[in-house]
Amino acid sequence: MKKSSKNLLLVIFLGIVVCLPFLLDDYWLHVAILTLFYVIMASSWNLLAGYTGQVSFAHAAFAAIGAYISGILSVQMSISPLITLLFGSVIAAIFGLGLGLLCLKMGGIYLSLTTLGFSEIVHIIIKNEYEITRGTMGLEVPNLLGFYSKTAYFYIMLSITFIIIFFLAKLIKSDLGLKFKSVLNDELAASSIGIDTVKVRVIAFTISSAIAGFAGGLYGHYLLLITPEMSSLSQMFMILAMTIIGGMGTLSGPIAGAVFLQVLSEYIRIFGKFHLLLFGVISLLVIKFAPGGIVGLYRKITQSKTDLLKIETQSKYDY
Amino acid sequence: MLKKRFFSIFISLVITMLLISSISIMAQEETIKIGVVGPRTGPAAATGVAFEEGIELALDYINTTKGGILGKKVEVIFEDTGGVPEKAASAIEKLITRDKVSIVVGESHSSCALAEIEIANRYEVPFIIAEAWVDEVTSKGYKWIFRAGPCNSGVVDNIIQWIVAEDFKKIMIVAENTDWGLGIKKLSEEGLQKEGIPYNSIITAVESQEYYTELNKIIDYAPDLILAYIYGFGVHDFIAQAYEVGLSPANALILEGAGPPSLWPEFWENVGEAGELECFVSAMHSKVELTEVAKRFREDYVKKFNREPTDYKSRSIYNVLLIAADAIERAGSTDGEEIVKALEETELEVASGVVKFGLEPGTVKYHQWQPPMLIIQWQNREQIVVFPKEAATGELKRGK
Repeated sequence: MKKSSKNLLLVIFLGIVVCLPFLLDDYWLHVAILTLFYVIMASSWNLLAGYTGQVSFAHAAFAAIGAYISGILSVQMSISPLITLLFGSVIAAIFGLGLGLLCLKMGGIYLSLTTLGFSEIVHIIIKNEYEITRGTMGLEVPNLLGFYSKTAYFYIMLSITFIIIFFLAKLIKSDLGLKFKSVLNDELAASSIGIDTVKVRVIAFTISSAIAGFAGGLYGHYLLLITPEMSSLSQMFMILAMTIIGGMGTLSGPIAGAVFLQVLSEYIRIFGKFHLLLFGVISLLVIKFAPGGIVGLYRKITQSKTDLLKIETQSKYDY
Repeated sequence: MLKKRFFSIFISLVITMLLISSISIMAQEETIKIGVVGPRTGPAAATGVAFEEGIELALDYINTTKGGILGKKVEVIFEDTGGVPEKAASAIEKLITRDKVSIVVGESHSSCALAEIEIANRYEVPFIIAEAWVDEVTSKGYKWIFRAGPCNSGVVDNIIQWIVAEDFKKIMIVAENTDWGLGIKKLSEEGLQKEGIPYNSIITAVESQEYYTELNKIIDYAPDLILAYIYGFGVHDFIAQAYEVGLSPANALILEGAGPPSLWPEFWENVGEAGELECFVSAMHSKVELTEVAKRFREDYVKKFNREPTDYKSRSIYNVLLIAADAIERAGSTDGEEIVKALEETELEVASGVVKFGLEPGTVKYHQWQPPMLIIQWQNREQIVVFPKEAATGELKRGK
């Protein structure tokens, strides 16, 4: 596809997204807001897994840390959620940095296991420290704006999503992004040319934790309720599935994955208790037939069309 | 080729889903829609099954026997909460804003109910809760929220009356560290203090499966009754371990304060001999029929499902659907304000008694109807109602 057509498509897509509050009813707008949350979560996890090759299971736990810190500060100290959100993000980043320093030398399966353990610890602490977190009942938190408006919240989430994706795009194209990719491709080769691979990984881990913490806070202040479910493994696997199904290691993959799985789960709701089964089957089908995810499949199709066009053009001049 | 086939399968799937949803939307136009929220997946999926059974029976009665309400058939849309508050909030939001239901009923998790009442209140849609016990559901004083089911305060009142009637001397409270557990523990302590009955309390972790430390403390205290406010399979472990250390039923009886875990199919498998003489709270017993509706419910249930009803939550959802249908009929419309007015004037016989909602604002009794709760004891694997006396089918047996 030509660059100009690509840009036109992007403008049309963005135009539709911006107009969504005028096109959707309240419920679908709610789904759109949740989708934006998942876009941020999947994109930030993708920075870690897709660009530096670190499979962490603690991403949902960082979101919960950000949400609870922001929620507790706004409830108990009556600080505006607009400020506490930043606190939540900073604390999540500090936890990310700490965990990164502790376990990023390990890498591979050991890193995954340690982050899995960390995630469970966070989940248990939230559930058991009920005097602070209100345990399984959930912590009721104030609205970000002081009034309830889905449209306003949609635009806030949309702006933040744009900013984060723009930031991630710039980061990936920067020198640091190049270091991320070199660590992903060949760690040994990267160290041999003087890249401090552990430092690079810790930086990626801290940035992605900070984004997750910020997204968690936004999510909590939108739902007005934060529960331990936020740090659960099912939430983590949802983020993981969105990134993989969308296309790991690409900027647009997590966006496509989040939109696809959120919309899909809305449509298969009508199948009642079988919706989980259907969800699994459809996800398996996508993984089986499109291992590069939705974006990979799209690229393959457009690539093969371009190739076909090239062959046709070539055959015209062959005789 | 393979890609093409995959795409055609995928597109067919999407089209089928769209068709199904559009057909169901078309079919819904000439009906009165009632939303139901409850767990159909997750650890409490059994409640979802009980709810489905109760919904079927209620719809048979309302649509077939009564011929519908306001000249229209009633349609129920059951949304899954998975027992997760965030999902519950989304589920009720979908029912209200997308399915445009006139009223919502159901729920069995306190945490989910607390999330849902905020949404129902914001959209000003009546919501009748069936089985979420936390007091705040009604004590928050929301105009649109009703509960036709047990609340912690009501259940504790019943338990304290039983303790006094049976002359228990020393009580140990074991509560899980959830809001339900801690809330009901606090209310029990206040009740026991008021009656001048000595007590002690222990808090356990909600995920606990091993209770030997707690049991040692209980043995030292030597109570004659243990109030176990633990939900789920944890209470099975507690009962089995209390038997293993020789505490129960030999030296102290156990009253399980939630109810359903003592009726789950896994109960006897998990507790074995330890289940004998265990007591539990329940709103239903096959041999105790407080009203004609209870008799009808049981007969219809047996006819439809070829077995006796065991999970009382099927009857709870049946009750709230009857209450909702009755209120819409008396309101003469599906307008929320009119339904709330009609609900406040409800005086309807359901399977658990005659419903009349409390109207004292600022208290837990506001928009609350507490059905009579039974205290049942397992005796030779038979359920014997031991309290209240007017419903009793036998005497309480003690271990010694």
